[in-house]
Amino acid sequence: MSDTVLTAPAGVNIPEFRQVGKPLPRTDAPGKTFGRTVYAGDIVMPNMLYAKVLRSTAASLTIKKVDASRARALPGVHAVLTAWDLPDRLVQTDIPGQTGQRSLNAAQPILVKDHVRFSGEALALVAAESLAIAEAALLLIDVESEPFPGVYDPFEAMKPEAPVVFGENNVIKTYKIRKGDAAKGFAEADLIVENTFHTQVQEQAFLEPEAGIAWVDENDVINIRVSTQVVEHFRAVADALGVPHNRVQVKSMFVGGGFGGKENITVELYLALLARATRRPVRLVFTREESFVAHGKRHPFTIRHRTGVKRDGTIVAAEADLTSDAGAYATLSPYILLYATIAAMGPYRVADLKFDSRTVATNNQPNDAFRGFGTMQACVAHEQQMDEIAKALKLDPIELRRRNFIRRGEKNSTGQTIESEVWSSRCVEAAWEALGPRASNRGSVRVGRGVACYQQSYGRISWFRDTCEAWVGIELDGTVIVRTAVTDIGAGQSSAVAQIAGEVLGVPLKEIVTYFGDTALNPLAGTSTASRALFMTGNAVKLAATAVRENLLGRAAKHFGLPVESLDIANSTVFVVNDPARTLPLPELAKMCATEGIHRNNLAIYRAPTSTGLDPETGQGRVFADFTYGAHAAEVEVDVETGEITVLKSVGAHDVGQAINRAAVEGQIEGSALMGQGFALSEEMKFREGRTLTTSLSEYLIPTAEDAPEIKAIVFESRSGFGPFGAKGIGEPAYAPVAASIANAVADAIGVRIHDLPITSEKVVRALRRAKTA
Amino acid sequence: MATEKRIALEVNGRRHELSVASNQTLLDLLRELGYVDVKCGCEKADCGACAVLMDGEAVDSCIVLAAMADGRRVTTVTGLGTPEKPHPLQAAFIENGATQCGYCIPGMIVAAKALLDRHPEPTDAEMRFGLSGNLCRCTGYTRIFSAIREAAGALKAKGARP
Amino acid sequence: MLPEFDLVEPRTLGDALKVMAEDGGKTAPLAGGTNVLVDLRTRRAAYDRLISLQHLSELRGLGAANGQIILGARTTLSDLVYDRRIGEAAPGLAAAARVFAGAMVRNVATIAGNVCSASPAADLVPSLMTLGAEVVLQSTVGERVVPLDQFYPGVHQTVRRNNELVTSFRWARRPERSAQNFYKLALRKGDAIAVTSVAVLLGAERGTCTIARIALGAVAPTVMRVPEAERILVGGVLTDAVIEKAASIAAEACRPIDDIRASAEYRCHAVGVLVRRLVGQAWQNIC
Repeated sequence: MSDTVLTAPAGVNIPEFRQVGKPLPRTDAPGKTFGRTVYAGDIVMPNMLYAKVLRSTAASLTIKKVDASRARALPGVHAVLTAWDLPDRLVQTDIPGQTGQRSLNAAQPILVKDHVRFSGEALALVAAESLAIAEAALLLIDVESEPFPGVYDPFEAMKPEAPVVFGENNVIKTYKIRKGDAAKGFAEADLIVENTFHTQVQEQAFLEPEAGIAWVDENDVINIRVSTQVVEHFRAVADALGVPHNRVQVKSMFVGGGFGGKENITVELYLALLARATRRPVRLVFTREESFVAHGKRHPFTIRHRTGVKRDGTIVAAEADLTSDAGAYATLSPYILLYATIAAMGPYRVADLKFDSRTVATNNQPNDAFRGFGTMQACVAHEQQMDEIAKALKLDPIELRRRNFIRRGEKNSTGQTIESEVWSSRCVEAAWEALGPRASNRGSVRVGRGVACYQQSYGRISWFRDTCEAWVGIELDGTVIVRTAVTDIGAGQSSAVAQIAGEVLGVPLKEIVTYFGDTALNPLAGTSTASRALFMTGNAVKLAATAVRENLLGRAAKHFGLPVESLDIANSTVFVVNDPARTLPLPELAKMCATEGIHRNNLAIYRAPTSTGLDPETGQGRVFADFTYGAHAAEVEVDVETGEITVLKSVGAHDVGQAINRAAVEGQIEGSALMGQGFALSEEMKFREGRTLTTSLSEYLIPTAEDAPEIKAIVFESRSGFGPFGAKGIGEPAYAPVAASIANAVADAIGVRIHDLPITSEKVVRALRRAKTA
Repeated sequence: MATEKRIALEVNGRRHELSVASNQTLLDLLRELGYVDVKCGCEKADCGACAVLMDGEAVDSCIVLAAMADGRRVTTVTGLGTPEKPHPLQAAFIENGATQCGYCIPGMIVAAKALLDRHPEPTDAEMRFGLSGNLCRCTGYTRIFSAIREAAGALKAKGARP
Repeated sequence: MLPEFDLVEPRTLGDALKVMAEDGGKTAPLAGGTNVLVDLRTRRAAYDRLISLQHLSELRGLGAANGQIILGARTTLSDLVYDRRIGEAAPGLAAAARVFAGAMVRNVATIAGNVCSASPAADLVPSLMTLGAEVVLQSTVGERVVPLDQFYPGVHQTVRRNNELVTSFRWARRPERSAQNFYKLALRKGDAIAVTSVAVLLGAERGTCTIARIALGAVAPTVMRVPEAERILVGGVLTDAVIEKAASIAAEACRPIDDIRASAEYRCHAVGVLVRRLVGQAWQNIC
């Protein structure tokens, strides 16, 4: 179902890869397929206790008292912890990074003491002999509280009379970007198009609810096995507990889906507290209902665009205003806002722009990281705006985009020069062409098509000074070990880095084992977030493997009496390139090295490009290492009487730089197509006064097999990225344009724009009725 | 009050005799017995992660009482095949890259097995219908569909019943 | 976790009825568990005792007697999908089963479970209502038959007494020249709760409409028939104008609420569209 187009930029020599770029079965696939993979919630230990969390069901309360005495008296209960049992420590929810620096004071209480700020906030922890006893104990905790005025809309929250949830005025963070002279740009425009778009709260809905187990070992080290994207939270856990960093070990098991929802701390801290309080192993697995209220979701955004264009479609001025609802705590909201603000321009060039943005606290559930991290919300807005501009100018939407795409070497909205290839044009053309013959209208059914393009960063914000470490070694039998604390969240991270080591060392994938996700035993790799895992860890593994290769070939060169350059390794055998019959098996070589004390392993660090930050007045500066570009195209049919929408075809075409595992890359594009379809059409978290109404997978509707359209993935490889072998990130980029393309397809089908997602059948009917009466 | 009941059931060919509480679900029982390949995703039959075959029929084990599995034959994904002797569905899931995070996969393969038992050569619609109770958040189902098609072909070529 | 309850597993219908007659606290019959166990776990309901109908295989399947179709209470949704005879006897019912939940749920969920959930959005009820189905209830004191359209006194309520078990549904075999269809409008294609659903059954003789039954789901406290709309269809040729009129009567007659799935206003609109379509299609099938 996929095409790969390999076109190298001029002057680049393409080596023949032996593994990289091939759709090899992933190393983690057999375990998962035969039911042998152990997830965090599967682990059982002797003497294990079961934990539960008491959560507020109201969104805004003043707590008078939390009395746990009845719960503590229940036989089988080993610990009940409330805020009064904890030292007055907070947990840092700001990006912890690997540098110990924080850019925002975004701490939140571990357990609520005085003020409940959102529905679902934790009040108490229980550990008991059985789940039934733990559940019974929750009902015996007496909470005395009084209602406290809450605010549930970011625009209400900015009014002077609004209840204060955060800081002095609920505004957590603002950004502005200024480039050129927007007023002058608008004055030169032939046409100004203005629209406001709105996106909803989206739930990650990973299939595996949050889970973990913890115990305190004989060295007073708190061991935590958890489903997480970020093992580096071991430091935040240690800080929150007031123990040294080296007394907390976090190991991430294979994660049953994350999508950003397991980027922040989930169960780790509760487990650490309870394990310490009871000196017994404690397991905590969230129910699905709890998962719905426990982790942060996708920020809803309101985005206003005002764009000035020339008659030929050239964008000459852009103004954007973005507001996001952060919910009750800051978490990662400022960074998500920054991503969205930068992405507001999309993959387009403009000399004169003026962007303003803010993220605002409310008593809604905190919103946090989710695949796309603000960029996809921005894309929903800028790509619908592009179609509206095209409509106003009577231009083909693809042609309009083509005339404005940023090019390699040009500067984007923050003045950062784009250093890698920008293949937006060929991506959008390929995606469009892959839609094939257009379905035809019939009866009340109207067919429509849409495209969307994007610019999405991969890798963390440059002033976080991101680094990643990995260790690669060869055993005496020629098998290879990769050690790196990268988490495997399902995208094939552990397999991809093995494939990279295998490529460099000439060892088949099945001969390589990756030990991942362990803060104590593996070098730290940083997070599996921000589409950075492959980029960062791939580079670190490649560096380490290359160093090992150099040592091995150095010794082999002596063996053959030939220069290193005349040797290569394939299938675990060193051979002379010009005389391939002359060989040396890797196990033999490894033993030679061992005997002579030659290093057979290497610990490497990869450092991402850094910058010092943005100018606070102009928002100009380098923010990211690099960007991925691509496009999505969709064909839909809309029943204009009932409003029902069916997605018929969905095509993603992306320049991934270099695919490491072809099947895994296509899998990211295909999965994005359906997740983005859910965002466009059916997924929406609903709340009443901050209280979550959609707490099950029968109320919160992610697409099923029956909703899946024909999905196609097209992979371009410019080999121009900053990742290993020129790879770019793809996990988030593939997702960024999907919803926008579907929104554009619906507008194309019915001739009316629906400005707020999701586009339900009801909204279609209402929009058509409004258009008719207008 | 919960009542206790002695039951006997067969899981993946292994017989278990034990006492269960009336309010214990088959999902809980299987996981307690060590069959942790049966996953828990929602406990209300919305997601299909806990699907097993009961006397050959796919059910969500979260809404089956353990007591009612008395005398029944239960098959989980582990019971379908091993790396040495994979079920064609398992081989095809691996080969097609149908697995990402993997959490839905045990239930998905069980549902796919039941699907191929009913429709050895499923149409597109039959396949989607047969998987309508198994949510996957990672793959868009694309490679799951290809894997099932391939497995159906392999089974047909072998002339074997799935 | 499920709260504690007693589980009784009678081997015969007689035993089951005897147990139902005893006072064992708040009791629910348990078949597929897709409602009862989920309600228990989410604490939407509490029961002291569940009576498993698992062993009562006589309550499963299709039969006929005295010109009537009889469908056992424990017939599963998958039976409705895959049993061709049910598809012929009640095409609308089979159509409803095909859009009901997911595959595993269909394997265990039963027709009586869906009917007795008394949800206004219960997928099978509109089609059963248009068949003119009756609910057969049994207890140790005897049998009681209640027309389905009198089975629901209110939202999530049925007239079933605590000592009674629904054992079957029955309805008069539909005439040769008749058609039944069903459509569910939902927020996604697979496994979704109805925003609104419509079932239609039409019968005709010599080009004239002789039977017209329309039932609407998720637009009132209970699934409802629309007698005013049915009346104007019976006795004539169904022109577009007549059908349109019936559709607008149906749209006016429903009394939906706003909920997380849709507004009342949209539901009324959808009823109008769907009634027009389903009546039109059914009419085309028989004339």
